[in-house]
Amino acid sequence: MGDNNGAKQWNFGANEVVERSSSLGIRDYLNNLMSNLDGQDKRPVIPLGHGDPSPFPSFRTDQAAVEAICDAVRSTKFNNYSSSSGIPVARKAVAEYLSRDLSYEISPNDVHITVGCLQAVEILVSALATPGANILLPRPSYPMYDSRAALCQLEVRYFDLLPENGWDVDLDGVQALADDKTVAIVVINPCNPCGNVFSYQHLQKIAETASKLGILVIADEVYDHFAFGDKPFVSMAEFAEIVPVIMLGAISKRWFVPGWRLGWMVTLDPHGIMKDSGFSQTLTSVLNMSTDAATFVQGAMPDIIGNTKEEFFSSKLEMVKKCAEFCYEELMKIPCITCPCKPEGSMFTMVKLNLSLLEDISDDLDFCSKLAKEESMIILPGNNIVFLMSFLESFNY
Amino acid sequence: MSEVEQPHANLVVPAFEKTEKDNKTQTQKGQSCVWRFGGSDKAEKASTVTLRGVIYMLFGNCSKDVKKTILPLGHGDPSVYPCFRTSIEAEDAVVDVLRSGKCNSYGPGAGILPARRAVADYLNRDLPNKLTPEDILLTAGCNQGIEIVFESLARPNANILLPRPGFPHYDARAAYSGLEVRKYDLLPEKEWDIDLEGIEAIADENTVAVVVINPNNPCGNVYSHDHLKKVAETARKLGIMVISDEVYDQTIFGDNPFVPMGKFASIVPVLTLAGISKGWVVPGWKIGWIALNDPEGVFETTKVAQSIKQNLDITPDPSTIIQAALPAILEKADKNFFAKKNKILKHNVDLVCDRLKDIPCVFCPKKPESCTYLLTKLELSLMDNIKDDTEFCVKLAREENLVFLPGEALGLKNWMRITIGVEAHMLEDALERLKGFCTRHTKKIETDDESLQASKPSDNNVHV
Repeated sequence: MGDNNGAKQWNFGANEVVERSSSLGIRDYLNNLMSNLDGQDKRPVIPLGHGDPSPFPSFRTDQAAVEAICDAVRSTKFNNYSSSSGIPVARKAVAEYLSRDLSYEISPNDVHITVGCLQAVEILVSALATPGANILLPRPSYPMYDSRAALCQLEVRYFDLLPENGWDVDLDGVQALADDKTVAIVVINPCNPCGNVFSYQHLQKIAETASKLGILVIADEVYDHFAFGDKPFVSMAEFAEIVPVIMLGAISKRWFVPGWRLGWMVTLDPHGIMKDSGFSQTLTSVLNMSTDAATFVQGAMPDIIGNTKEEFFSSKLEMVKKCAEFCYEELMKIPCITCPCKPEGSMFTMVKLNLSLLEDISDDLDFCSKLAKEESMIILPGNNIVFLMSFLESFNY
Repeated sequence: MSEVEQPHANLVVPAFEKTEKDNKTQTQKGQSCVWRFGGSDKAEKASTVTLRGVIYMLFGNCSKDVKKTILPLGHGDPSVYPCFRTSIEAEDAVVDVLRSGKCNSYGPGAGILPARRAVADYLNRDLPNKLTPEDILLTAGCNQGIEIVFESLARPNANILLPRPGFPHYDARAAYSGLEVRKYDLLPEKEWDIDLEGIEAIADENTVAVVVINPNNPCGNVYSHDHLKKVAETARKLGIMVISDEVYDQTIFGDNPFVPMGKFASIVPVLTLAGISKGWVVPGWKIGWIALNDPEGVFETTKVAQSIKQNLDITPDPSTIIQAALPAILEKADKNFFAKKNKILKHNVDLVCDRLKDIPCVFCPKKPESCTYLLTKLELSLMDNIKDDTEFCVKLAREENLVFLPGEALGLKNWMRITIGVEAHMLEDALERLKGFCTRHTKKIETDDESLQASKPSDNNVHV
């Protein structure tokens, strides 16, 4: 070995696309804000930047769900590889669970189990990324869609959610944005980050618009049932006759177990449109190449769903509602902050920052960085002047 | 074995029952709109190389009319067989963590620190250059590790060197991330040693890495210290990293000891992929790791480490349950548990090789000493009307409900791979059926006696 290590030339390097993509993500923002925290501050950090109340005792998951997984592990029946769409008992359990709130039965064949909702996003975005295609995302949005789209080099176009209209989708904007290369529109309901719930009528209009444009609807319903205001949660699945819908969900939010990594992607396509277009085949191909949810969590699904009582959900939802109300009331007392719409769903709300009332704070990122440093509190900067915060733990603080 | 018994009930084996009817495929009448989304060529191309396609095709050739249970020996998942049940300590670790309530939250992209530390300690037992927790990145299974590493290395015109025969998931993910694949040979005449000259011949300035699988799937050999050192030196000379897939590091039953490639990290940067799936027989638990063996800090300066970590930030994680259980699982790693499992595999190998002695057209040139497969070579010249390994396997499935993997799926034409990570009686049954099949399909060689017989009037012509 004669060569000088310092002069050694290596032929490999980083994929720049990865760096650009991850910088769009929440973790990147959170990591940066966390680096502003003052190590000398003895107070506990208040983490309101992401939606994960599971560390807090008041949001402990249901014991029945825990026991269900313990049983699955002890049975020794769930240590094996799973098929790419999940094991039959899990697919069936999820199909039945989702069908409870629908006017029709979902077939287990249409349910694909994923490693959390995030993997469903990863697989879908990847499958849609054909050369030249574009996808419509809401603004404000859940940044993971942006990251994954950037990684697949799928062009993103943003349509607005209108704060003056309760965060409804700007449908005229959607029509103006779409062209013949647009493949899908993402709708997050209940909405992360805005905290609103779309009405039945509005969802129907979105479906009709998508149908007219010839595009898929990706219905991100990971916060399904997190509706505590006046509007009940309605699934986009109800409009699958109008337009092909791919519905995403998980146990992460309702059971407060994001760490268990069990989600689903449900293809609702009564007229076989996805099949005829070849898209279903592509989804299958990508699923075949991708990792799967832990088999023992899948195996526990029938009991997780079957044994968790309704009181667990209703009592937790009541707590979430109280947090939201408390947060909203307190925020309204702070002059430089306005909350355009009272939160009625999900775990978040978007608030507006009135920079003109603040000295020496240049923008929302600056606000959040200083807040982290001075008050050991983490909230997430939005685009321009709006930022989001999770109201869940605010009750405790 | 009765029809009713299905020890592999959880194995991915399609049943004979018809699958549920497809959704109505009639497109909406009067729909004047054009649907804008469609299939992706890239996905199609990448997924055609996976094993699933071949295995399902072979299952499709099995039939209820052949009154024998399907023997699925083309793909491997020992976890469904009671004799390969995982250790009680591993199960305990998971149950304890669940009951503690401390595994329900999101973790950081690279994995939770206690798990990373536990993996570093576990690997450091055999490494001179000690790893820190920061050098360990957790993945949702070793396969996801492959996906993430390839994506993080992909650049325009980059190529990667993969072994032939190999593990098709590498080809699929390389294709999907846009990396060009170049194959180097494992030499059957040299006990599957790596063709180092071949590597030097195919590498160029766009080559980023060479993938080495040790212990080797599908060949079953374990590379020697000296051979691995030569690989490291060759890689260094070419300016490429070594990606060492060591997922079978605890599945060894021969005499050659396992040597981690990380031992040569001062010669060349080594990226190790491994996990607990094979060692503990829990592929469904979906946890693996990437270990950056790199005392010279090359992965840092070239930003590869950063790229992988950033990728992990936007990619699904292994469940926090299994991450939290990992320290206890690794600390309690029991030599006896591994020995017991490996003994069964050795016995299975000996059994198959013994039975193969009576089957001239299928032979095993090198007994495997690791992993859960046995590679055999087909002597097609002895056979009647079977032109290649795929046809052999299709006919075998059709006539005997016996599924082996044609070597072509791994890049080895006219070889055949037998899964040995199964219950011994299944192998007994399989070899019986194989013998029957081969006997039926062996060319009838005419001897002088026989041709003499043929010229005599046949008995059949004599009627009473």
